[in-house]
Amino acid sequence: MGLLTKEVERAPCTVEISHKFESLHAHVRFDNGAVIYPGDEVKVHGPEIMAPFGEIVSEQREATIFRASKLERLWTRLTGDFEVMELCEFSFSDEVTL
Amino acid sequence: MNMHTADAVTAEESIAIQEQQAKFDSEAATAVAMQDTLLTPRFYTTDFDELDAIDVSSVREDWDKLIAQMVSDPNKGHFKKNADWDTVDWDGMDPVLRKEFIDFLISSCTAEFSGCVLYKEMKRRGSNKDITQLFQLMARDEARHAGFINDALREAGVAVNLGFLTQKKKYTYFRPKFIYYATYLSEKIGYARYITIFRHLQEHPEHRFHPIFKWFEEWCNDEFSHGEAFALLMKTDPKLTSGVNVWWIKFFLTAVYSTMHVRDHQRPAFHTALGVDTDWYGHAVFTKTSQLTKQIFPITLDIDHTRWARGLKRLQDANLDIAAGKARGGISGWMTKTWGSARAAFAFVSLYTIPSVPNAVPASPRLEPAY
Repeated sequence: MGLLTKEVERAPCTVEISHKFESLHAHVRFDNGAVIYPGDEVKVHGPEIMAPFGEIVSEQREATIFRASKLERLWTRLTGDFEVMELCEFSFSDEVTL
Repeated sequence: MNMHTADAVTAEESIAIQEQQAKFDSEAATAVAMQDTLLTPRFYTTDFDELDAIDVSSVREDWDKLIAQMVSDPNKGHFKKNADWDTVDWDGMDPVLRKEFIDFLISSCTAEFSGCVLYKEMKRRGSNKDITQLFQLMARDEARHAGFINDALREAGVAVNLGFLTQKKKYTYFRPKFIYYATYLSEKIGYARYITIFRHLQEHPEHRFHPIFKWFEEWCNDEFSHGEAFALLMKTDPKLTSGVNVWWIKFFLTAVYSTMHVRDHQRPAFHTALGVDTDWYGHAVFTKTSQLTKQIFPITLDIDHTRWARGLKRLQDANLDIAAGKARGGISGWMTKTWGSARAAFAFVSLYTIPSVPNAVPASPRLEPAY
């Protein structure tokens, strides 16, 4: 990992989507144990995935991990905290007037 | 007919299924004017070693009780539609109210969903059994809430789209302590918000324009337990609630309260339909939240201070100007936006510098829902 250079790697992953009444969730797990660090970007390849209502779907996919440079990782560690407010239920709407 | 691409043997078959599914989706969309809503959760990472290093032995008794209660899952049977779920006249609903209410549901669904993603990630990356078990249980509750709201949205003809999964997404970073402060507060204020609406509608059932409000009582008990868990986590390390961290706590309290004020004022029709004055509602929620957070935070905000209501109003006005400036664009738009941002920053500083009210934190933080 360079100070300014990004590295790109591929990783197999499992995407699980539950579109059930009891549970709406979606998770991506890297099958090779790849670990994501601050500032990294991840793209799961292939068409959009959506489970039909009432079902759970699990798919094997390939993902590309764009590793952040050292500088970017540091920057994300320093500034990421301020996005923490997005966890609040009332702070997700982008529109200021509806 | 709902064959999925996961069942496909060849790429061609997979594409064919995709196309068929797309056709089905678009037909369904046309049939009920299904509106597609892209969920846009955030993706976070944190210092997982620090999380693993948490030692709950100093709060073991309270911890085990809370976890046992969450494992027994008292709300398991609660999130089912029954006869109480009466028919909703979506078509007859005032369009402005409909828009605001759907926005409310979508933002709630996104928050539950994001919480689920975050908790699940913490569960997966951690190795400390106490911590991973807690996050697994919380992820379960959040996914259940998201599913329940999703169902209400489907009834309204709004389909959630999880397209973000295959889009490039960036992982941001939070220090563990900021996750504690923010999630603790968001769970406790979530409880206060839901219970305030629930109690109000118990007294004024004529304002209950959607059955989902009937589920708020048990729902918010989940939020309450999650908040309790974070309170215990913070109790394990006294440094988290002392020294310079008190300033962080004050920052989070001010930010969470003022964000809520600004966002709630974006939904005037929603609050009118519920029969609540938005400012009254905000104050009721802040009062409850302050009372609850006395379990762990050494300060509360002085929400009755003369500068408080004024600061919130200024923040909201500045926010409207920022949005207007953005919408207008060009140099004059930029100037309006910049001026608005400066005023918003000033209003926030004014709120942040109101002297806080000191609080003697009890030895054991555990509380039971009492509102």
